[in-house]
Amino acid sequence: MKKFLALILALVMVLSFAACGNEETPNGNDDSEVLTNENIKIGFVHVSDPSDMGYTYNHDLGTWKMAENLGISEDQIINKYNIGEDEGCATAIEELVEAGCDIIFATSFGHGDYMTEAAANHPEIQFCHATGAQAAGSGLSNYHNYFTSIYEARYIAGVAAGLKLNELIANGTITEDEAVIGYVAAFYFEEVISGFSAFYLGARSVCPSATMITLKADSWSDPVKEGQIAQSLIDQGAVLISQHSDNTSPATTAEAAGLFHCGYNSDMSEAAPKASIISARADWSIYLTYAVQCVLDGEEIVTDWCEGYAEGANFTSPLNEAVAAPGTAEKLEEVANGIKDGSVHVFAGPWSGYYVWDNTPFECAEGEWVEESETQSAPYFGYIIDGITRLDA
Amino acid sequence: MISENTKKEPLVRIAKRAELSPKKAALVRFSSIIVALLIGGLLILALGYNPISVYGGIIEGSLLTPTALKATAKIAVPLLGAALAIAPAFRMKFWNCGAEGQITVGAIASTYFALYHVGDLPAPVFFVVTFIVSAIFGGLWGLIPAFFKARWGTNETLFTLMLNYIAIGFVKYLRIGPWMDKGQMFPKVPMFDRAARLPDVFGVHIGWIIVLLLVVFTYIYMTRTKHGYEIAVVGESVSTARYSGMNVAKIIMRTMFISGAVAGIVGWMLALGTNYTLSDTTANGYGFTAIVVAWLAKLNPFVMVLISAFLAVLQKGSNSIQTNFGIPASASEVLTGLILLCMLGSEFFINYRFVFRKKSVGGDD
Repeated sequence: MKKFLALILALVMVLSFAACGNEETPNGNDDSEVLTNENIKIGFVHVSDPSDMGYTYNHDLGTWKMAENLGISEDQIINKYNIGEDEGCATAIEELVEAGCDIIFATSFGHGDYMTEAAANHPEIQFCHATGAQAAGSGLSNYHNYFTSIYEARYIAGVAAGLKLNELIANGTITEDEAVIGYVAAFYFEEVISGFSAFYLGARSVCPSATMITLKADSWSDPVKEGQIAQSLIDQGAVLISQHSDNTSPATTAEAAGLFHCGYNSDMSEAAPKASIISARADWSIYLTYAVQCVLDGEEIVTDWCEGYAEGANFTSPLNEAVAAPGTAEKLEEVANGIKDGSVHVFAGPWSGYYVWDNTPFECAEGEWVEESETQSAPYFGYIIDGITRLDA
Repeated sequence: MISENTKKEPLVRIAKRAELSPKKAALVRFSSIIVALLIGGLLILALGYNPISVYGGIIEGSLLTPTALKATAKIAVPLLGAALAIAPAFRMKFWNCGAEGQITVGAIASTYFALYHVGDLPAPVFFVVTFIVSAIFGGLWGLIPAFFKARWGTNETLFTLMLNYIAIGFVKYLRIGPWMDKGQMFPKVPMFDRAARLPDVFGVHIGWIIVLLLVVFTYIYMTRTKHGYEIAVVGESVSTARYSGMNVAKIIMRTMFISGAVAGIVGWMLALGTNYTLSDTTANGYGFTAIVVAWLAKLNPFVMVLISAFLAVLQKGSNSIQTNFGIPASASEVLTGLILLCMLGSEFFINYRFVFRKKSVGGDD
């Protein structure tokens, strides 16, 4: 009986492969009328929803600012929230195509593979993927990557963190050796490494004895785990927490422990007024406005877009004076001016480290620096600097 | 002497019902869904949305556009497959909570071929080979707890559950280690070549035809074959089975191999038909939700088709309402949970009834 069943099953399969061809389904986006700010439709695929008060919240702010800039109404924008980095992403993109979107943005790194496929299948629609790096290699003219050089704002936030550590050392709360920063990392790859290295170098530029320990959450957005990791870092000696993850739980965990914090994406001093010193933020509206304007004007969107601190694409939230060390504001202004005029390089030597994927040692001498975001918009700084310890690597 | 009738009768007690007529049972089930929708409606109101438009959103987001319908089918197919997989084991009262892991192992096996041998074989042969290999690996993964149960009487619920974590942990190792996509700078398994993707029939991968065939085969296997009879006897009473000369150990192991093999096939279609890659979430909870499907369907394969379609509508629909109404993910999970709870609860009222203490039955007052 079983053999018979297996045989039938195999037969049916072979037959049905032979019988069916691959039909392309046409999409409903064939209207030939001219695009204006009154009929353009814009789709977004978000990895979480704005209730994270972090990454998606901040990207969403950019969306509404772009809509205001261009006079686009709310019902022309379709947001798909809580779309994971899996097959659900393909469905979400297809639904946006079906809804008639002329341009589709996806915000998370892991959406990249699905964006690449969708861009190939729908050449008449523009696809823009934040943090990704596949557009240039795909050779598709309707596929683009964007990011801001957020490492600049992180460096500035790092300086504020270093000054805080100096204050703690000066008033005897900790010794020089106890100036340990704890960093909640989402994953270990270039985007995250670039971020924590910039933050660390910023802190070390003012507090030479600073060291950093990191743990990864294996998720961009997991409020519970992010908080647990922050606690674990604190238990292992961290006195200041920073993060590359989407939620405010690391900030509130630091506050509950009576320690300090530097945030990402949103002004986290609202969630943790006694802990959060400053946050590195991106202003996504600059790119979104640019990209949508290009579609309206019928112009090409650049394949790799990356603007930085000087253009306002990234910035730091207002300094929380109640927590920051005295004199921080002046120092930050000096550093920020240096970044704007190009005299301060974030990844400047001297530092030594190793390349994350093959452990090759790397030395960056005094007076040299590693350039970031020149060849593509997604970060590609992949060195683990000595002084940073990945506890789980 | 304390006799039965001197004890005070409780205010409410629960008694087994005589068999309900099918009409009445259907009525109870139907009203349970209505109750669920009403409670869910209150929840939606409390969140500040209009329940009718949100329920409309569930239907629209799961059935009314071509993409949505296809996405719903892509949920229903593996769910039904997983429910069919665990059905024989459950009939045997072997609580296979490991379909999740068996699916994952099947997916790992297919992924190996999709990554390293896709060009080596003509397409139909490639799919038949991966199909068979996934079934074998899924089956072997199911065989492990069966062997231990048959040999040493280990608890299969815990055993199968824990094997899930091992299978998923192994995927993590592969994703970060040997199978990592080197071009991506990100720890994930590469997307499969187009040649390694299952063809679509009416817009949904061919797995749906296989699963529908499996419905018929499972029905025949469980009700019309010697194997099916043996499974039922072992499920009712191991002693009876032994007494009548059945080799219980063999039946347990054989049935779990089949159960795991079908789960492995589900892994095959998830990897090659839906995800086109392997990730920690390839099995996506289907192995667990399948338990609900199997129970609600009372292990009847044909009823499983309806239940899995219903749950797929709920799942896809609740994803869409998160998106379209901005309802938080957790709230739409609560909504789905409420509906399931009411449906399962209705089974209680079909089988049991409340008996209230009658006033002054006489005697001791």
